[in-house]
Amino acid sequence: MEFGWTADQIALRESVIGFARRSLKDDVVLRDKDGVFARELWDRCGEFGIQGLPFPEEFGGGGRDVLSAVHAMEALGYACGDSGLLFALAAQMWSVQMPIFRFGSEEQKRRYLPRLCAGEWIGAHGMTEPDSGSDAFGLRTRAERRGDEYVLNGTKTFVSEAPVADVFVVFATIDPSKGPLGITGFLVERSAPGLRVGRAIHKMGLRTSPMAELVLDDCRVPAAQRLGREGRGAQVFNDSMEWERACILASAVGAMERQLEATLAYARERRQFDRPIAEFQAVQHRLADMKVRLEAARLLLYRAAWAKQCDRDPGPAAATAKLAVSEAWVQSGLQAVQIRGGYGYTEEYEAERDLRDAVGSMLFSGTSDVQRNLIARSLGL
Amino acid sequence: MTESTSMQVVKQYVLDHFLAGEDPSKLTATTPLITGGIIDSLGRLDLVLFLEKQFGFELESHEVDPTQFDTLAAIDALVQRKRARPGQGA
Repeated sequence: MEFGWTADQIALRESVIGFARRSLKDDVVLRDKDGVFARELWDRCGEFGIQGLPFPEEFGGGGRDVLSAVHAMEALGYACGDSGLLFALAAQMWSVQMPIFRFGSEEQKRRYLPRLCAGEWIGAHGMTEPDSGSDAFGLRTRAERRGDEYVLNGTKTFVSEAPVADVFVVFATIDPSKGPLGITGFLVERSAPGLRVGRAIHKMGLRTSPMAELVLDDCRVPAAQRLGREGRGAQVFNDSMEWERACILASAVGAMERQLEATLAYARERRQFDRPIAEFQAVQHRLADMKVRLEAARLLLYRAAWAKQCDRDPGPAAATAKLAVSEAWVQSGLQAVQIRGGYGYTEEYEAERDLRDAVGSMLFSGTSDVQRNLIARSLGL
Repeated sequence: MTESTSMQVVKQYVLDHFLAGEDPSKLTATTPLITGGIIDSLGRLDLVLFLEKQFGFELESHEVDPTQFDTLAAIDALVQRKRARPGQGA
């Protein structure tokens, strides 16, 4: 068992940290308050090669292996405090670019992947509907084949980046009686007739990743825009969710490391009862817990990314990593606030934003209970 | 009734994925899998993907109707038809 990184992977991490500190610094506190997406920072990430990390060079990507891509995203989370931006990047990579790469036609890959890798276009993923969340395959959006087109009708909700996206991966059913085997994936461009971005959705955290509803009203989509086979959208969706579960929280692990370092520095500096609070065992124990959660989360993240890379029964590893990392991130955030006391509750120290951002990770890509369901299923239950 | 090789493969898949820990002798060629509640709609998707990967054919939407998927015997008959006529619907 080898736990070390190659010189190339270490150099990539250092390069990403340098890029983030140099090019992604801005007033995230203000943008978080106003819910502003940083398009300029997105473009810089595209120029640097973040969005293209795990995709082949022939499609505009960086040709990195999965573990290297995850290592780089972890570095980004360590050096950049805008978790909303990092969530948007990762969501596009794993739930838009990856299904296009794995299930798209050659033409679809050539049209979308270079633009998405370069940051020129933004992609969003629309599955959830007002009446189907964890019961994802209970969706109601219909797709009716009419000649060379499909006509889509329905409403998607919780669509991250919908207000700024150029292309959407959406799922609809061609026949509700077929259950999951009726679901079909589509690539719908923003200019498609009948597509409309609906009301904005304001969130507790990850506010710099804008969210909205997506309305499909007799939305006409050329048949060539179908993503994968008719009736196999559930396969496309499951596959992309497994990638998400395995990899999307890489930046959270980096954020936890940043949080631990900042909290440790605060505890050494902050004095009460004539000594630094780091000298109190109660504070030391909280910091020790943060360290243990960070290391455990990191190992599970790498294990899941490795399983995806080698295709070695990655499902349970991905669900385990998603569950453990998200819950560790929330607990780490709570400890970071607690150690700072009242100051941790203010915007000034940014611990409260990290905590708000972390809560969403227990919900997106399947709630923690959905992850437990998947793990239980892998146990034959 | 002698089980074909393909039926044995499908039977083992069902035992491993949907009946872990159960007595294998309770699963026969005529045990209702879908109407009997052994395989739910998500499991049916997994089974379809398994059959396509295992036997190297593609199943069309009309071929994965629950009535054609409710027993090992029905599934095996579908597999035999697909293998006899690759590229054609059942």
